[in-house]
Amino acid sequence: MSPSSSTQLRNWRRVWRLTTAILIALLFLVPIVYVVMISIESPNQFLDHPLVPPVPPSLQNFSSAYQQGDLGPQLVNTIIYSVSAAAISTGLSLLIAYPIARKLIRFSSWVYAWFVIGICLPLPIIPLFIESRDLHLYDNRIGYILLHVEPGLPLGVILLTAFILGIPKELDEAAWIDGAPYLRYLRSVVVPLAWPSIVIIFLYSLLAVWNDIIGPVVLLASPNLFPVARGVYTFYSSNQSAYTLLAAAVMIVSLPVALLFVVSQRQLLRATMGLR
Amino acid sequence: MWSGIAVGMAFYVLFGIAPAAANILVSFTNYSGLPGSPTSFAGLSNYSALLTTEGPGFVSSLTETVVFVVGVTVVQNVVAMVLAHRLQGDGRAAAVLRVLAFFPIVLGVTVVGIVWLLLFDPLSSPAQAVFGAFGVHSAFFGSNATAMPLVIIVQVWQNLGFTMVVFIGSLKTMPPSIYEAASLDGVTPWRRFRSITWPMMAPAVTVNVLFAVIGSLTTYNLIYILTDGQFGTNTLGMLAFNSAFGSTEDLGLGAAVTVVLLVVAVCIAVPLAMVLRYRERRLLT
Repeated sequence: MSPSSSTQLRNWRRVWRLTTAILIALLFLVPIVYVVMISIESPNQFLDHPLVPPVPPSLQNFSSAYQQGDLGPQLVNTIIYSVSAAAISTGLSLLIAYPIARKLIRFSSWVYAWFVIGICLPLPIIPLFIESRDLHLYDNRIGYILLHVEPGLPLGVILLTAFILGIPKELDEAAWIDGAPYLRYLRSVVVPLAWPSIVIIFLYSLLAVWNDIIGPVVLLASPNLFPVARGVYTFYSSNQSAYTLLAAAVMIVSLPVALLFVVSQRQLLRATMGLR
Repeated sequence: MWSGIAVGMAFYVLFGIAPAAANILVSFTNYSGLPGSPTSFAGLSNYSALLTTEGPGFVSSLTETVVFVVGVTVVQNVVAMVLAHRLQGDGRAAAVLRVLAFFPIVLGVTVVGIVWLLLFDPLSSPAQAVFGAFGVHSAFFGSNATAMPLVIIVQVWQNLGFTMVVFIGSLKTMPPSIYEAASLDGVTPWRRFRSITWPMMAPAVTVNVLFAVIGSLTTYNLIYILTDGQFGTNTLGMLAFNSAFGSTEDLGLGAAVTVVLLVVAVCIAVPLAMVLRYRERRLLT
């Protein structure tokens, strides 16, 4: 191969890499950029030329959407629901995963298998709805939180078991023999060792509760208990042609998870790569 | 220790296993969501109602489910495989694009759904502008011809990042020495993919294909936001939900559809898992 054809090949490769990178960026950016752009357009501007960036930008949509959509109280609801359900779910996952991983109980592989089955089962929403009414968990905060603990358990138990198996036994068993009370031992020895994986499981359960739409539609009836997922959907249904207002509402609702993602993306992606 | 396990298992049994099993019981009753209506044993009537023409459109729902599951599984895995090869590198641009591709999962179905409804609004949207320029006018999510392809695209768009990252994780475990040996032998890129990369990615393919099949079979939350099962997008999961919580509030009928869905899921997922496992073993030895 002559030197000139090899540089030509290298140039072609560079063009190819740049083109594909731009195409991939467009695939994921166009929807987001469009929403960001129209959220700062006034309704009149949107009617005249929606696809031109607005000068000057207007923040009117954000305050209108926040008030009309009642998004503030709904964000508070969502934070209460997702943080408490994810915290309980992650804690229970650890309480189950540690004895399984260290084979402290009999039939531990059998218990584990039940959680593998659970990961494939869809949410049995119809019996859950009946159950929630019979157990007085329907349409109240505590009930909503308790009903959202279970969906995080299968993945939590499976991932935490895998992570704990990766921790050398010697590190935690030495402390166990000292005869510390089990819970204190878990908190002071196991939790620090497994902390990165605990954070990942907490994040995944938190996102699942935060983004759940079927749960709030079926298990809640009072608007003052709605989380943002249902609130913003209701807002959409009643304002379908108020495009700029909807875009602002969508952005307000996404901002907290977007920030959380920016902070945690490295760990989240690395943990997901481990799934093979 | 035992009390910790007991509390955890209590949650799992009470809100996971028991309701899943109770589905079968509910499917044999005329349980209604409307308060005050008596519940009685209804035998197989919910199941026979599925097969009659006055029923909730079960047969068309079956075909729509097949289209959705096959469409999502194929498109999602092929595109994610291409993206994984392009974005597996250590460069800064690749890292940024990986994060970008993962972002829709974080946003959640409601936000993603509304964003795409805005993008494809039939009255005023970028899609309307682009297609309108060619003189094509469509209702997009409100049209029998285009709703299903669009729903598949959005479902894939949302989950692409996850599938891709699992593939990248698998690519990262390959020993570079194999590729060095192959490049010394002058192997073409395609042959390198066919004979080295593809077989070694078999376990990741198993995970991703199973996730895509089970996920697209059982989840309907995105369809609920985009079309609510109208315009030819009434998959079995959507049908079960709307039978139970739509205007009829027929929980028994919804449970019957769910049982059928579970049977279908097991009948597809178990043989598929076995075939994929067999393929892994054959490719890796």
